[in-house]
Amino acid sequence: MHIEIDEIAKAFGTTTALHPVSLSIPQGALVALLGPSGSGKTTLLRILGGLEFPTSGRVLFDGQDATGMTVQDRRAGFVFQSYALFRHMTVFDNIAYGLRARPRASRPTKAEITRRVTRLLDLIQLPQIAARYPTQLSGGQRQRVALARALAIEPRMLLLDEPFGALDAKVRKELRQGLRDIHDETGLTTVFVTHDQDEAMALADLVVVMSMGRIEQVGRPADIRNRPATGFVRDFIGA
Amino acid sequence: MSDATLHRPAATRPSFRRPTDEAPALRAALILVAVGGLALLVAAPLAAVFAEALAQGWAASIASLGNPDARSAIRLTLLITGIAVPLNAAFGIAAAWLITKFDFRGKAFLITLIDLPFSVSPVVAGLCIVLLFGANSALGGWLVAHGLPVVFAIPGIVLATVFVTFPFVARELIPVMIEQGRAEEEAALTLGASGWRTFRTVTLPNIRWALLYGTLLCTARAMGEFGAVAVVSGKIRGQTATMPITIEMLYNEYLSVAAFSMAALLCGLALITLTLKTVLELRHADSLSANRRH
Amino acid sequence: MMRAPLIQRSAMPGLGLSAGITLSMLSLVVLLPVGALLWQGAEFGAANIWDTLNRDRVWAALWLSFRLSFLAAMFNLVFGVLLAWVLVRYSFPGRRLLDAAVDLPFALPTAVAGIALTALYAPNGVLGSLAADAGWKIAYTQWGIFLALVFVGLPFVTRTVQPVIDEIDAEIEEASASLGASRLYTLRNVILPMLAPAALTGFALALARAVGEYGSVIFIAGNIPLRTEIAPLLIVIQLEEYNYGGAAAIGLAMLLISFLMLLVINLIQIWSRRRIGHV
Repeated sequence: MHIEIDEIAKAFGTTTALHPVSLSIPQGALVALLGPSGSGKTTLLRILGGLEFPTSGRVLFDGQDATGMTVQDRRAGFVFQSYALFRHMTVFDNIAYGLRARPRASRPTKAEITRRVTRLLDLIQLPQIAARYPTQLSGGQRQRVALARALAIEPRMLLLDEPFGALDAKVRKELRQGLRDIHDETGLTTVFVTHDQDEAMALADLVVVMSMGRIEQVGRPADIRNRPATGFVRDFIGA
Repeated sequence: MSDATLHRPAATRPSFRRPTDEAPALRAALILVAVGGLALLVAAPLAAVFAEALAQGWAASIASLGNPDARSAIRLTLLITGIAVPLNAAFGIAAAWLITKFDFRGKAFLITLIDLPFSVSPVVAGLCIVLLFGANSALGGWLVAHGLPVVFAIPGIVLATVFVTFPFVARELIPVMIEQGRAEEEAALTLGASGWRTFRTVTLPNIRWALLYGTLLCTARAMGEFGAVAVVSGKIRGQTATMPITIEMLYNEYLSVAAFSMAALLCGLALITLTLKTVLELRHADSLSANRRH
Repeated sequence: MMRAPLIQRSAMPGLGLSAGITLSMLSLVVLLPVGALLWQGAEFGAANIWDTLNRDRVWAALWLSFRLSFLAAMFNLVFGVLLAWVLVRYSFPGRRLLDAAVDLPFALPTAVAGIALTALYAPNGVLGSLAADAGWKIAYTQWGIFLALVFVGLPFVTRTVQPVIDEIDAEIEEASASLGASRLYTLRNVILPMLAPAALTGFALALARAVGEYGSVIFIAGNIPLRTEIAPLLIVIQLEEYNYGGAAAIGLAMLLISFLMLLVINLIQIWSRRRIGHV
C-alpha cells in the first residue's frame, strides 16, 4: 500500500510532538524512522496505526483519506515495543486473536484459523511453541510471535515500534534478517522506528531521519551517509 | 460561525475517541452505576446515622451522650483501644522484623498463622477466649480464684480486640520492609551502631508511614469491634459495655436517639480515620506497600 | 541431601527479642484460644458434635450463612470490578471522594452499619418504605442479610483489583484494537481475564468475611429460627445457655469452612502465578 503523510502535526497539550511533516512511502518499501528519543518518530508511527489522532493534517492510504479511520478498520499490523503479548493466552491464541475478534460474518472457520496460525508459526520458524505461554518464551521468540500475530490479520501494512530494542546484540542481528525476509516474502509496506542508525542503514530501503518533531532528511542509506543534508544528520550519523 | 469552527482540526472532532477508551455512553453508564451503588450502600446509611441521631435536635443527642453509662462506655472504648493498639503495633514491628530480617524454616507457616484471625469469625474468636479463660475452664477458674478474671472483664475485651486486629500492623510493615531490604541496616551495623540504635535511626524512619497506616486501620477496627467483644464482655452496663455494645443495648431498648448519637460519635471517629488514611495515601504513597499506591 | 538449618546465621541483631515477642503474643492471643476450641471439641466428642450440628435449626443457619455470603460475594465481585474500573480509568468530579468512600465499610463499626442499614431499609425507613410500596420487604428478611453482607464485603474486590488495573500496559489494549477487536471484545477477552485472579482473591476474602459476620447482620436479620438466623448467632445463643460444647461444635464447623476458604485463596494465587507469571 502506498502511504501519503500530508502536513501531519501533533501537539500533546502545550508540547509539540510533530511540526507539520509530509512524507510519501511507496508501495512495498521498507522504511526506517530514525532519530533520538523525543524526535517524534514513535508519534508518527502511532498516527499511521490509528493509535493517536493528528492535531492537523491528513493520512492517505492508496490515495484515500484515512485520517479519521478507526484503529480497528485500518488493518495495520502493529508490533509494539513491549510486544504486548496477551499473557493469559497461549502463543496459538495470541496469533489467532485478530481472526477470532472479527464479526461472525467475516470470521474464518476454526479449521481455517488453525491452518493460518500453523502457517505463520512456520513462517517465523517456531512451529513447536504453539501451546506455550508468553512468559515461557525468550525475548527473540516473543518478538517473532508478536510479528506473527500482527501478520495474522492480513494487514495492509506493517508498523513496528523499536522492534529490536529489547534484545541483545546477537539475537538482534538474526532477527533483522528475519524481518527483511518476511518483508520480501509478503511484499508489505513496512515502517519501523529505531534510534540505532546501524540498524536503519542495514535494513531499510528508505531512511527518514527525524529530530525535534521535524523530518531532517529522507533518502537511501547510502545517500544519507554520503550526503547528509543538515548538520544534525551529519552529527547523528557520524556518532 | 467563525472560520475556526468550520475547519476544526481532527483531534477535536466530536467523534474523536482514543482506541483505549470506552464509548461515552458506556462510560457514563458505568460511572452512574458506581456512584448510584455507593450512594445506596454507603452514603445513605452514613446519612441515616446522623439523621436519626438528630431526630429530636442537637440538645437531646448531646444530652444522651452525657449520661453516666454512655460516658463509661466512651471511657472504656478509649481505654481498650489505648491498650490494644500499642500491643498490636509492638507485635507488628517484632513480627515484621523477624520475618524480613531473618531466614528460617516455616516462615510461610508463621505468616499464615498471623493472618489466621482475618478468616476467623469474630464470634468464634470470642468463643475461643471464653473457652480458654472462662470460669468453667481450669485456667479461667484458677485466674478467677486469684482475683484476675479475664472473661466478663477488661482483660478479655482487650484479648478479643487484639485477636481481631492481630494482622493489621504486621501486614502493612512486611511488604514495605521486604522492599527496602537489609542493606541499610547492615551498613549501620558495620559503622558500629548497636542493634537498638540501628532500629531507631535507620529502620523506624523508613517504616514510619506504613506503621502509622497500619496503626490507623487497627485503631478503627479496635474502636468498633462488636462480635468478639459481645461474646467475652458479658455486657455489664457501666463496666464492660464498650461503645458498640452500648449502641446495641440502647437500640434494643428502643432508645433510638441515644443509640444513634453514640453511633454518630463512632462514625465521626471512622471518618477522621478515613481522612487521615487518604492523606497518607496521597502524601506518602512511596513509603506504603505497593498495593496502597493508587 | 542436607536439610537447611532451622535458622540461618545472621549478623542482624534482635533475633531473640523479635522471635520472643512474636511467638509469645501469637501463642497467647491466637494459638492458645484456638487450641482451647479444638480441645473443647475433642472433649465434647464426635458423636455429640454431630448431634449438635445435625438439627434442622443448625443446618438451616449454616446453609443460610454460606449461601447468602456466597451471593453477596458474587454481587461484590461484579460491582467491585466495575467500581475499580471506574475509579482507576475515569476522571470525573468527586472521584477521590468516591474512592475514599469505598473504605467506609472497613472503617465503620459493624454495629453502627447494622443499625444504620436497618433504620434505612426497615418498612418505615426512607428506602424501605419505597421498597415496601413496591411489595418488597428488605429488612427482617433474607434480603436484609444479603444487603448487610454486601456492605461489609464491598471494599475487598475493589481494593485487590485496583492496583492490577493500574498496572495494565496501555500497549496491551492498543494491540487488541490494532488487531481489529472492538472495545467490548477487548474488555471481555483481554482485560477481564487479566483481572480474574485478583478479583477471585477479593471474592474469597469478601466471602470469608461475610460467613463470619455478626454485628451488621443481627439488627437487620430479624433472627427468626430456620429463616433468618445466621450461624454466628447460634454460637452466641449456645453461650448464653452456657452450652459450651454446643457452641464449640458450631464454632468448629465455621472454623472448618474458613480454613477451606483460606485454602481456596492460596490455590487461586498459586494457579494464577503459574499460569501468567504474576499474581
